[in-house]
Amino acid sequence: MENDKLMKNISTILTDDQINTDPEELYDAAADRYKKYAKARKVLDVPVPLAIVYPKSTEEVARLLAFCNENQINVIPRSGKTATEGGLENWKEQTIVIDALHLDKIIKIDEYNMQATVQAGVALQTLEDELNKVGLTTGHSPQSKPVAKYGGLVATRSIGQFSTLYGGIEDMVAGLECVFPDGHVSRIKNVSRRAGGPDIRHIAIGNEGTLCYITEVTVKVYRYFPDNNKFYGYLTEDIETGLKVLREVMVNGYRPSVARVYSEEDARQHFFHFYKGKCVLLFMAEGNKGIVEATSRGIEEAVDKFNEGIIEEVPSELIENWFVNLNWSQQDIDDEFEGMIENDSHDGFTTEISADWETIPKIYHNAIERIRKEYNRVHDLTMLGGHSSHSYINGTNMYFVYNYSINCAPEDEMRVYHHPLQKIIVEETLKLGGSMCHHHGIGKFRNEWSKDEHGTAFYMLEKLKKAFDPNGIMNFGTIYYQEEGAKYQK
Amino acid sequence: MKIICFVKLVPDVENFKYDYERNVLVRENVHQILNPEDCSALSVALKLKQENIDVQVETLTMGPEGCRPHLEDLIKRGVDRSILISDKSYVGSDTYVTSRIISRYLEREAFDWIFSGTHSIDGGTAHVPSQVAECLNIPQMGNILRINQAGLFSDRVRTEVDSEDAVLQFEIERPAILSFQYSTKIKLPYIKYEDLERDVSGQLEIVSNSRLRFCDTETGIAGSPTKVSQVEVDSFGRKDTRFLKCDDEGIEEVYQFLKQRGIVCS
Repeated sequence: MENDKLMKNISTILTDDQINTDPEELYDAAADRYKKYAKARKVLDVPVPLAIVYPKSTEEVARLLAFCNENQINVIPRSGKTATEGGLENWKEQTIVIDALHLDKIIKIDEYNMQATVQAGVALQTLEDELNKVGLTTGHSPQSKPVAKYGGLVATRSIGQFSTLYGGIEDMVAGLECVFPDGHVSRIKNVSRRAGGPDIRHIAIGNEGTLCYITEVTVKVYRYFPDNNKFYGYLTEDIETGLKVLREVMVNGYRPSVARVYSEEDARQHFFHFYKGKCVLLFMAEGNKGIVEATSRGIEEAVDKFNEGIIEEVPSELIENWFVNLNWSQQDIDDEFEGMIENDSHDGFTTEISADWETIPKIYHNAIERIRKEYNRVHDLTMLGGHSSHSYINGTNMYFVYNYSINCAPEDEMRVYHHPLQKIIVEETLKLGGSMCHHHGIGKFRNEWSKDEHGTAFYMLEKLKKAFDPNGIMNFGTIYYQEEGAKYQK
Repeated sequence: MKIICFVKLVPDVENFKYDYERNVLVRENVHQILNPEDCSALSVALKLKQENIDVQVETLTMGPEGCRPHLEDLIKRGVDRSILISDKSYVGSDTYVTSRIISRYLEREAFDWIFSGTHSIDGGTAHVPSQVAECLNIPQMGNILRINQAGLFSDRVRTEVDSEDAVLQFEIERPAILSFQYSTKIKLPYIKYEDLERDVSGQLEIVSNSRLRFCDTETGIAGSPTKVSQVEVDSFGRKDTRFLKCDDEGIEEVYQFLKQRGIVCS
């Protein structure tokens, strides 16, 4: 279909003010934070979408998807626009971005049943603020909290900084509504638990816009006791000591909301004023008083058990102050963008992986060693380290963090620096049976390893795609590798 | 026209580690960067080369062989030839000996101009360019903000020099050392993607003492007249710490603290 005709058809579904064809907005919509530097320098190498559209109802989403499906037009679902892995990057000439801007209603806060229902375009911070007024919390706090919206949070299997206590978004979603490419609307009801066959919430949770468009979400909510929060910080001899303490706390059944250990290099970035060249271990105990007291005792006992590797305790105020200022606002994002226009640098990149307790230190050291030995631009690295920030009874994650001087053209940055570094980390992770993506999603730049990530279970993902999106219109290139998109990757 | 640019590899001072137990700076595995003012000077030279086909740009560096990847990158950015003066016997040389070593190499080289930064971020003495000029008996000008590029092709170049309270103009005769200030307005060209893996080893030459022929007593710590009697490192010891919240009250207190010390104005 010709572009003009396509846009004419779209305008029969939506009003003019729901269709955005502003060139600057379209350029911005062509890529997400993965190519943030190239975007800031105006050298993006991907096509811009034809339009960004803002449906006001589930019905309008259904009509849009059915139209695009019939005419094989690529669709990128979008809400808070904080994606970091290329999930919002466009690889097709004919693409429509469906933005949840007007799906912005908090439908219900149900204090008795401890759940809240929101449309996809409700910002996490907005719901959090409303819940706080009645003594409740979402329990979800990714760094993007002030900007991220519920559609994207659920579609990417987001996780927050309090995950050790509250879990990831998948533990919070009670039910949801989503629209499939053929226009079918599915509502998954909100119940506390059921054994009604496979848990179909998980077809939508984490689909990254490749199977359906999430329009509404019901999440569990929690009592909010901010005055009870207690913070703990320690300097440790090495990252292993920190990991051992984290494990001890977890396997003894305690659930601090925050439990982290930083390598020396990464600690330097966050805790320059007190880290003294050592690793930093920190905790936050949260909840009602009795639970906080018990959790605090559990943390102290675990620290005591591994006291040989503990150098000293850090004043809890320092941890609290750091934590209060950790989230990035829209202003932070804008400031970084301006900085990238001025300078040949940015705030760095990350790759987040997960594995069991035994394997995580091996992956960490293997990857760091391989990068130092093999990576041909190692002399440009200004920082290489990592931290564990989300722990479970059977393992934890590792957030590899790296900064570098950019000595190539902005459009080459990712293939010269981030991608080769990520490749080493992913390969070392998959080799030892870990997962290559703990919480950012696969996006478009880890899709080359999707099959290796899932092994024989990738069959199930392929079947889902064929069943729900047989025309392949949903977010082309995300999760599922596409040869046609390889030119934008490497 | 041939321009030789001094390029020094310096520790990335943003990324120093401090050993609190031994109270010393940890210099091992410290990331090295190109001295920013030298980058500015080299950027001027490479821009000139891009615009004039008969301009030849060489870099001259004194340092360990670990500098190689950085110098190879400079060749990939457009430098014609890189010279690395490197010899174990030169380790520990002060600025005077360093200047003599560099000068001895330059005595046998033809050049029209030498470009350098004015200061390096690790030492900041600004000795080397002026001492090399003295050894070679040529003029040198520091703190240059701009030059009249056309003048480089004649026998005299006009320079604009920062003298803190004014910008002064000077003319300098060829050959001379022109030492630039750091500028954000001009940057080194990017390395092209297809050049990243290009073998440029043929354009990088290592010059050792077997060529420059200093005797042992003339170089290194032994040959350096500068004697360090004592090094005092700023203590990073814990100060009286007060914890403030990131709220209006905390911000006001920090503001008043800075205002009292003249760090911010009202």
